[in-house]
Amino acid sequence: MGEGAGPDGRGELMLALLADARLPTGGHTQSAGLEPALRAGMDPARVPDYLRARLATVTRVEAATAVVARHVVMPDATGCGPSSGAAAMALAETWHAWAARTPSAALRDTSQRLGRGYLRLLRRLWAGDPRVLALDEAARLVTADHAADRASDLGRDQARGVEGSDDESATADGRGRAASGTRNRGAQPPRPLVLGVTAACAGLSALQVARLVGYEDTQTVAAATLKLAPIDPVDATGWVVAAQPAIDALAYDVAPLTDPRAIPAHGAPLVEQWAEIHARTTERLFSA
Amino acid sequence: MPDTQHDHAPTRSLRLGVAGPVGTGKSSLIALLCRELSGTLQLGVITNDIYTDEDARFLRSAGVLDPERIRAVETGACPHTAIRDDVTANLLAVEDLEEDFAPLDVVLVESGGDNLTATFSPALVDAQIFVLDVAGGGDVARKGGPGISRADLLVVNKTDLAPYVGVDVPQMVADATAARDGGPVLALSRLDRESIDALTAWLHGLLAEHRAGSHVPQDPGPMAPHFHADEDGDGVLHSHDDGDHDHAHGDQDHGDHDHGAAHDHAEDHVDTAPVPAVRA
Repeated sequence: MGEGAGPDGRGELMLALLADARLPTGGHTQSAGLEPALRAGMDPARVPDYLRARLATVTRVEAATAVVARHVVMPDATGCGPSSGAAAMALAETWHAWAARTPSAALRDTSQRLGRGYLRLLRRLWAGDPRVLALDEAARLVTADHAADRASDLGRDQARGVEGSDDESATADGRGRAASGTRNRGAQPPRPLVLGVTAACAGLSALQVARLVGYEDTQTVAAATLKLAPIDPVDATGWVVAAQPAIDALAYDVAPLTDPRAIPAHGAPLVEQWAEIHARTTERLFSA
Repeated sequence: MPDTQHDHAPTRSLRLGVAGPVGTGKSSLIALLCRELSGTLQLGVITNDIYTDEDARFLRSAGVLDPERIRAVETGACPHTAIRDDVTANLLAVEDLEEDFAPLDVVLVESGGDNLTATFSPALVDAQIFVLDVAGGGDVARKGGPGISRADLLVVNKTDLAPYVGVDVPQMVADATAARDGGPVLALSRLDRESIDALTAWLHGLLAEHRAGSHVPQDPGPMAPHFHADEDGDGVLHSHDDGDHDHAHGDQDHGDHDHGAAHDHAEDHVDTAPVPAVRA
C-alpha cells in the first residue's frame, strides 16, 4: 500500500499536515455530530462508544469514498494517469455512490460545506494539477445530472398535475435547504471526494488517507467534547489513543477498494436523525 | 478551471469586519449601519456570536434588513480562529451572500466578542472597525493592541453613557488617537446625530476607495518579529510594534524570506478617510 508515499517521507509529512487541526478548512466549526448527540441526552461517558459506532458506519463510508476517489485519479503502475475525462467520470460515479450511502441531507450538506473548505486549499496548493481539473469536471457532470433529475421530477409532477414543488432545489445533495442558506448553486463535491483528490496530489497512500479520515473524525469528536462537557483534555486524548486499533482496522478494510460500487453502505439512523435535528436547531456551538 | 462560483463571486462586495470586546455594541453598530444605509446600499451581514445566534436574532428583530441577508456562522467556540487563522467558514458564508443577493455593496462581518487581541485576517475582510465603549473604562484605549492601534477605524461607543460611568470622552478619544498615531477615532452615540453621520461618511469614503481600487487592505494583526538578512549573511531581527518603521519591505529583501502580499503594511499609517473625533 506504499503507492504514492515517496521514500522521502513526503506522504508522512502530508498526512500530519492534513490531520492537523490548524489546517485552514473550517474544522473548528465541527463536532462530528457530537453536539446533537449530547443534546439528545447521550451521556458524555459514552463518547468512546459513539466513536466506535461512527467508525463502523458513517466514517467507514467517508473513508472508503476518499480511498476510491484517490484511486480513480492516481496514475497506474505504468505511470500513466487516467485521461481527465475518465477520471472525472469515475469521480462523478464515486460522488453518486457516496450520496446514495449518505441518506441524511444534513450530513450530505455538512460534507459538501467541508468539501468547499478543502477545495479552497486544494486549488491554491495544487493549482492546475490535472486531478484538480478532473474534480472540477466531475462537479459539472454531477450538476448536469442533478438538473436532469430535477427536470424529470418536474415532468413527473406535471404529468400528475402536481403544483410546482416549492422545494424543487432540495436535491439529493441538500442544496437549497433553508438551514444552509444555499440556493441553486452548482453541485459541490463532498469532503471525502475532495480529500481523496488531495491525498493523490499530496502523495498519500490509500492506507494513509483512510487512516486520516478515521483519525480526523475521532479527534473531532474528542476535541468537541471538551467544549461541550466537563471532560479532562487528557482523558479525551486517551479516547483517541484507545480508538487506534479500530481506526487501523477500518483503514485496512477500505484501503484496497478501487470501485465506487464497493463502497460500504453502513447507515447509522440515530446519527442521521441527530444531524437532521441539529440542522434545524438554533443556539448551536458547532455547525454540525 | 478555477472555481468561478466561489473563488470569484459574481460581484465582490466591500467586506467590512466589526471586532471588539463583548458588549461594546458591535451588533448595535451593525444595526445602526443597516438602518442608515439599507435604503441606499445593498447590504449583507454575517455574525459569529460566540455561542448563540443571538446577534442574528437581534439584527433580524431590529427590522432593518431582510432576515435572509443576515446569516449566523457557528465557530465551535473559536471566535478568534474564525476571523483570523481559519477564516474558511466565514469566507464561504460571505461568498454565498454575495452570490445569493448579487450585487451587494457591503457585507458586514461581525466577530464574536473577543478580547483586545482579536483582529480580522485580510484574507476575510477588506477593512475593519474595532469597537470599544465608554462603559468598559476610559483607560481601555490606552491599553492598545492590534485592533485599537491599527484597525481602519476605532469607534468609542455609547458616549451618551459617559456621565454615568465617569469617563472623560475627549480624553479617551485623545488617548485612542495617540495609541493610533493619529488614526481615525470616532466617538459614537446612537443619540448623537452628528456622530452617526460621521460614521456613515467614513463608510461611504471607504466604499468609494474600494470601488476605485485605491483601497489596500491593511493588516492590523500583531506583526511577528521577523528577520531581514543582509548581504554578509547576517541580518536584523525586528518587530513592528516598537516604532521600528524605518525600512521598506519588498525593496531590500534578499530572498531569504517571503513576505508575501499580506506584509505590505503601510509604514506611514496613511489615513484613507480621516474622521474628526466627534465630541459628545
